Amino acid sequence: MGRRINKTGIAVLVFFLLLAVLVSMHLTELGKNFPNPVSETMQFVLSPVEKVLLNFGSIVKKNTRAFWSFYAVEQENSSLRQQVDQLTGDNLKLKEQVLAGIRFEELDQGIFRSPALNMYTKVGASVINRNPTAWYQTITVNRGSRDGVAIGDPVIAQLGLVGKVVNIYASTAEILLIADSEAQVGALVRNDSGTATYGIVQGTYKHSSRLAAEGTFQMLFRREDDVNISDLVLTSGLGGVYPKDIPVGKIKQISLDSSGLLKTAYIEPLVDFDSLEEVYIVKANGGT
Amino acid sequence: MRYLLILGMLISSFVLQGTIFYYWDWSGIKPDLVMLLVIYIALHSRPLTAVLWGLSAGILEDLYLGHFIGMYTFTLVAAALLSYWLAQRWYRENFLFIILLVFAVSFAGQLIVVFLSLGVGLHWYIGNGLGVAAGIAIYNVILVPATYPFIHRSFLHGWLRYRPKYER
Repeated sequence: MGRRINKTGIAVLVFFLLLAVLVSMHLTELGKNFPNPVSETMQFVLSPVEKVLLNFGSIVKKNTRAFWSFYAVEQENSSLRQQVDQLTGDNLKLKEQVLAGIRFEELDQGIFRSPALNMYTKVGASVINRNPTAWYQTITVNRGSRDGVAIGDPVIAQLGLVGKVVNIYASTAEILLIADSEAQVGALVRNDSGTATYGIVQGTYKHSSRLAAEGTFQMLFRREDDVNISDLVLTSGLGGVYPKDIPVGKIKQISLDSSGLLKTAYIEPLVDFDSLEEVYIVKANGGT
Repeated sequence: MRYLLILGMLISSFVLQGTIFYYWDWSGIKPDLVMLLVIYIALHSRPLTAVLWGLSAGILEDLYLGHFIGMYTFTLVAAALLSYWLAQRWYRENFLFIILLVFAVSFAGQLIVVFLSLGVGLHWYIGNGLGVAAGIAIYNVILVPATYPFIHRSFLHGWLRYRPKYER
């Protein structure tokens, strides 16, 4: 005779297990630090292997790009040829400087300079791993608490903002990229006349960017706000996480919502998150 | 030897997901190799063994990722149980059924991840969550022809075969 299954008992057990898991997840969510020697040991042991594999993958992808993305490369090639023809008769750099003003000029030089950043010490770091799951946009770098990095420290690259430190070990740190929708950034848009409009930049990694090429960030404005395509988006310094005036991106597209009261700006990031290899961690939270 | 091999495969799965499969992603979607491995183990184990492997793999993955502890533990135990339950009803030598089973379990497992994430207040849209879960399940299915025949053979005749004490 088969054993009788106590369905109520199983339901109660699953309920309490679920409750325990949710409490545990809440206590250990992104940005909360707790002692985790297992992860630290695994990161320490596996990071050299991961770095080698990541480099290997990068080399393979770069060298076989034409093979895997034949159509895209062909299109890109054709588009580049057209651009070369256009650029031959037209000095694009001058045109961009006239359109975008002095702040764009700084970007064209390669490295931005923000007075708000000069007051902090920065530490260079190499990307050694990417988040193994498809759910979060995080990277792991080879700097940790031993190097004075602290949770919440902003992370920048040569051209602009990358994200912030959300998890830290002795020799590694995990960075939540601003492309993830969990990472919201207080920002301002500065138009050609220098006027600033404030708002919040949100990543669209989990939203439409998987399905439509609408840019990696979006920002909401009132209909009457004076923001235009090609305007530069910078951090506003409000919120206390990111210092002021770090470039985030350029507005690529603006669309009105169905009510006609709000408009959404789609922002093209200045940093290429896919090819990030080196970043700078800004010690804004008291790290020495 | 068998346990060491499975542990090595688990750790390799963590590493490969964050490295090689980062470059072989599909609009940001990567396979869930750990879940795939747990499904394979559950197909070739008794229920208690399947649950214990799901639990161990989940705890290890949660600790490795270092946040949202419990999410993958719960998910992988559920995936192991569901795989075992389906395997009792479907003939595991039938390759088409294995593909369906991997899709169903992967999709259900990723849905658990979505709902647990919603439960702790992450900013998710259910439609996007469903899309990503389906994407991961499809990617897992694509890997089945390249992995299942070897793993299945190994579980039946190779290094992964369970050997009773009197046989060792």
